[in-house]
Amino acid sequence: MSNKVAIIASNGGLFDAYKVFNIATAAAASEKEVAIFFTFEGLNLIHKQAMQALPMPEGKEFMAEGFAKANVPNIPQLVEMALELGVKFIGCQMTMDVMGLTTADFVDGIEVGGAVTFLEFAKDAAPSLTF
Amino acid sequence: MNITKQLDAKGLACPMPIVKTKKAIDTIESGEVLEVLVTDKGALNDFKAWAQAGGHTIIEQKEEAGVLYFYIQKV
Repeated sequence: MSNKVAIIASNGGLFDAYKVFNIATAAAASEKEVAIFFTFEGLNLIHKQAMQALPMPEGKEFMAEGFAKANVPNIPQLVEMALELGVKFIGCQMTMDVMGLTTADFVDGIEVGGAVTFLEFAKDAAPSLTF
Repeated sequence: MNITKQLDAKGLACPMPIVKTKKAIDTIESGEVLEVLVTDKGALNDFKAWAQAGGHTIIEQKEEAGVLYFYIQKV
């Protein structure tokens, strides 16, 4: 049985962030080795400024109240939790180059790599998830 | 039952009860028991799956006044 969970984060909205980090932290807390490959808009989820105010999907703004009521942690808290639990963050080098971003723009502790870096990790992971 | 540590995770939403439980279980020794209080209904299935993943044993669980109590013996 695989003990690895491989996640691709390729979208940059608030809901995307919850989907990615909830699964990642839950997996890491369940003794799994977890890596997330952040590519394209997914890089927003670990961008120091962008992660503070990720957009809600259009028309879903009313759900903000529900998030507050359900006592859901905010994204920076989940990011910190994920890192604490040993989740590996891999930033997509190509996307970073295209967007003119460097590791300094992202939370501390990320690795930078290309598709092959992720694929090598994911080759024996189950499940592999894309968000 | 000898409870070594108690974790109050009431009011917390997924995935925090599991994350906090993981952190708490890391602080006790093998064979010791962690008591967790949680109100997230998803915990009912999540704790079972989580314990199985880590090899821990839920020796008792109950629900009182909307609060779930789990007694987890560390592997």
